[in-house]
Amino acid sequence: MYFDETFDVVVIGAGHAGCEAASAAARLGAKTALVTINLDLIAQMSCNPAIGGIAKGHLVREIDALGGVMGRVIDRTGIQFRLLNRSRGPAVQSPRAQADRALYRREMRRVLEATPDLNLRQGVVVDLIVKERSVVGIEMQDTRRFGAAAVVVATGTFLNGLVHTGRRSYSAGRAGEPASIELAEALRRQGFPVMRLKTGTPPRLDGRTIDWSKFEPQPPDEKPVPFSFATDRIEQKQLQCYIGYTNASVHRSIGEHIGESPLYSGKIKGIGPRYCPSIEDKVVKFAGKDRHQLFLEPEGHDTNEIYLNGFSTSLPAELQLELLRKIPGLEETLIIRPGYAIEYDAVDPRELQPSLQTQRIRGLFHAGQINGTTGYEEAACQGLIAGINAAQFVTGKAEFRLARSESYIGVLLDDLITQGVDEPYRIFTSRAEHRLSLRYDNADQRLAKYGKELGLVGDWDWERFNARQDRLSELRGVLEGTRIKRSDAAYTAVRQLLGTDLGDSFTLNQLARRQGVTLETVRSLLPLALRDSASDEELASALADSLYAGYIESQKSTLARINQHDEARIPATMDFRQLSGLSHEMVDRLERARPLTFGQARKIPGLTPAALATLLVHLKSHQKAA
Amino acid sequence: MTYMRSPNSFTGEDMLEISCHGSPVVVRRIIDLVLKEGGQLAGAGEFSLRALSHGKLDLSQAEAIRDLINAQTEAAARQAVRQLNGELSNKLQPLKQILIEVIVRLESAVEFVEDDLPALQSKELAAKLRSLALELDQMAATFDVGHWLRSGAKVTIAGRPNVGKSSLFNSLLRRDRAIVTHFPGTTRDTLSETINIRGIPVSLTDTAGVRKTPDEIETIGIERAQMAIADADLVLFVVDGTSGLTEDDHLIFRKLGASKFLLVVNKLDQPGFASRYPQFEPAKSVSVSALRGDGLEELCEAAIDELGANNFEAGDLLVTDARHYDLLCKSSEQIGEAICLLEREATEELVLVGLNNALTLLGAITGETTSNDILSQIFATFCIGK
Repeated sequence: MYFDETFDVVVIGAGHAGCEAASAAARLGAKTALVTINLDLIAQMSCNPAIGGIAKGHLVREIDALGGVMGRVIDRTGIQFRLLNRSRGPAVQSPRAQADRALYRREMRRVLEATPDLNLRQGVVVDLIVKERSVVGIEMQDTRRFGAAAVVVATGTFLNGLVHTGRRSYSAGRAGEPASIELAEALRRQGFPVMRLKTGTPPRLDGRTIDWSKFEPQPPDEKPVPFSFATDRIEQKQLQCYIGYTNASVHRSIGEHIGESPLYSGKIKGIGPRYCPSIEDKVVKFAGKDRHQLFLEPEGHDTNEIYLNGFSTSLPAELQLELLRKIPGLEETLIIRPGYAIEYDAVDPRELQPSLQTQRIRGLFHAGQINGTTGYEEAACQGLIAGINAAQFVTGKAEFRLARSESYIGVLLDDLITQGVDEPYRIFTSRAEHRLSLRYDNADQRLAKYGKELGLVGDWDWERFNARQDRLSELRGVLEGTRIKRSDAAYTAVRQLLGTDLGDSFTLNQLARRQGVTLETVRSLLPLALRDSASDEELASALADSLYAGYIESQKSTLARINQHDEARIPATMDFRQLSGLSHEMVDRLERARPLTFGQARKIPGLTPAALATLLVHLKSHQKAA
Repeated sequence: MTYMRSPNSFTGEDMLEISCHGSPVVVRRIIDLVLKEGGQLAGAGEFSLRALSHGKLDLSQAEAIRDLINAQTEAAARQAVRQLNGELSNKLQPLKQILIEVIVRLESAVEFVEDDLPALQSKELAAKLRSLALELDQMAATFDVGHWLRSGAKVTIAGRPNVGKSSLFNSLLRRDRAIVTHFPGTTRDTLSETINIRGIPVSLTDTAGVRKTPDEIETIGIERAQMAIADADLVLFVVDGTSGLTEDDHLIFRKLGASKFLLVVNKLDQPGFASRYPQFEPAKSVSVSALRGDGLEELCEAAIDELGANNFEAGDLLVTDARHYDLLCKSSEQIGEAICLLEREATEELVLVGLNNALTLLGAITGETTSNDILSQIFATFCIGK
């Protein structure tokens, strides 16, 4: 077959998944093409101009530790950094930043263009070229054909996208951009089970038409915490966001016009995310609430556009304006872009292997919203994993996986592949059973080694990582080893500060756990050299290790109690087909994995609890007979 | 013939039930016919297993079927049926729901810091948890009785020769099972039978009289008696109320060691009977006449008391399974730790460790609660989303 160009890896779509995938594949030595409908909108933030947030910030840190690009790009383009959950424990704190939307796009494009072996191509992909269940290339609308040993599909909301505003709906991948329709058909033709999902976005307002004095300012952190382990300083000037509220008058009006929302008129069939409801949903489902919170977020330094977070809607545009003007401070406002809802195709992620390669077609990988997720960070981490594995696949290397116990990325992938999705999937800290170990501040400690082994983490970053680890381990030693006794001068000082008795002696770790003890107090008790060299973040990180140690143990012993049968051995001769009542699918999964113990069987993706119970009963009766 | 279409059958598979005349010959011929046509006989527990693998039963229900089959008394069978109906699980559901509500409050504070959520009331949460832990403890306490129902109690009759152990054994059994003579040392081997005392299946063991003897066979019997004593949940230490205490009685008393025992003073109907033996106090004593059957009611009552199995009513749901007991105790303990942390105003993610542990532990009885279930409840309770 004739190909206009031949690559090792072709990535379809240059959103947050596509950018990570292309960057990773190229840096791992694969000749890579990143194909997008519009090169000027690379890494576009389709919805809110922000990266991070609880658990999402963890994902960005993990991407960064593995050698991905999102963290570095947001650090250079973020205009309001805030560490969330500062009043809570370190495990659930997470960085978040507002981005300058246009700067983010530009910076990401610059990073991609500076990557050797990475080639940007503009065009609409209309078909996958598949030979004997293996992908061999793609075909474009402009009739060009690219050969590829691996293809990553990262199409976001573009796959069969349908935009709704009021009664009007039209085919689009984002408002004003064409949808990818033939590619959606191509995937259906290959037999992929497709579902319809929905998401929405709020109106963007002209900042010059807002009375800012009516809103409560939300300042940035004084000391911004960056996303990337490579960043020392945030250079962008930091801006304020503003907080306001809807009111009863807005709600009444929405109620009166609810029939005009495609969500309630029955026009939208796709399933939307419950944690990101439209304003219509908020008003209908929480009728008892007399106001809903709104965030007014600047879209960048050089623009008047204001993103109205919390007001996602698909009501008719003129009604959107009418509603907004009922809010104090927005009486005179003008809408630059109205909010809208969008429905798009996603493919059941249970089709995937942990590498994000499809089981159906060799060399084909899916990443991002096509797998039923939502969020830039969720997309980016899948893009990274798919890009790595596409490169590994092309060079015949082992697939790269992450476990639930070592990363949020592992949790997300495992959830997708074993559970599938019934609404757009977002990461939460409560999804991670090892939440206390998976902190944003120790992502490098958990994952940098893999990035280094793969070849994504360069020498400069690796040295920096090792230096940081050395400081941390010294800190840990000092925090546990420094014991302050009643006779010490420091003891009296601390007791005066806290006004409570501190026992005969205490270590710095023990002191840090007391109410009212700040990082500064602990720092003042460190040896001089460390007092100056350790950053706040490093000190907090070392203290967190000690804070959580006992809790992590207690969790482990609970799980051991529940999983008390994990040690039960499965005879090598066991014929799983002989287990009464097991379906072919379950037998198949067991045969393929050939677990040696019940604990191993428990971890096989897709095995139902009923099948496991059956296996367990068999093992137990087998034991008795033996 | 009754056809039950999948999944609406016991096993969840297509099933055919054949009703026929009860004569063994007819049944046999039908089975033969089925086998000839390629049918197979079900293995032991096969139907339950199939029901399990189709998700028609959960593991604790399957366990209940096993208990039901093994049940030795009415009361034990009744408890197994209640388990099979998922009563323990049902009773736990509302408790688990309270736990989930608290978890939802704390998790939503952690996950949705930017949303406009009501402030946490840690005093109120702690109070909810405290009453929850109390209820779990009360359920766990029923295991004191429940475990006897399921596994039965071992009661051993011990004493020196010729004090009437075998007579007591027979009268408790209400039949002449052991040979009784007036020759000391008649009982050579231990002898066990199951009786029903107030619903508790009791494995009652008669033993050879313990004394110093040159007889080789009798010595082996005495060794076995000593093993039966060591193994017993309760020993009925029988003495002769008409003859005063002998050296052998004291020997046996010493051998009882840490075993739980009741002093049974026999021969209430004979002249010269004395009922008090302060040497063996504070052990409780009961006077009986094994021959006439006097005092047996009181003996049974005292035995049940000693075993701690007295305080249950026929209507109570009891925890009978050691695994369930363990899970209830541990979950209450974990909730207790969470309460301490709440009171010390520890951060939410720490309080949640104990609560999530408790939820996992309870889930092993009632079925798992996933993080998805928790998130669903958060979205149903609070308006979340920027």
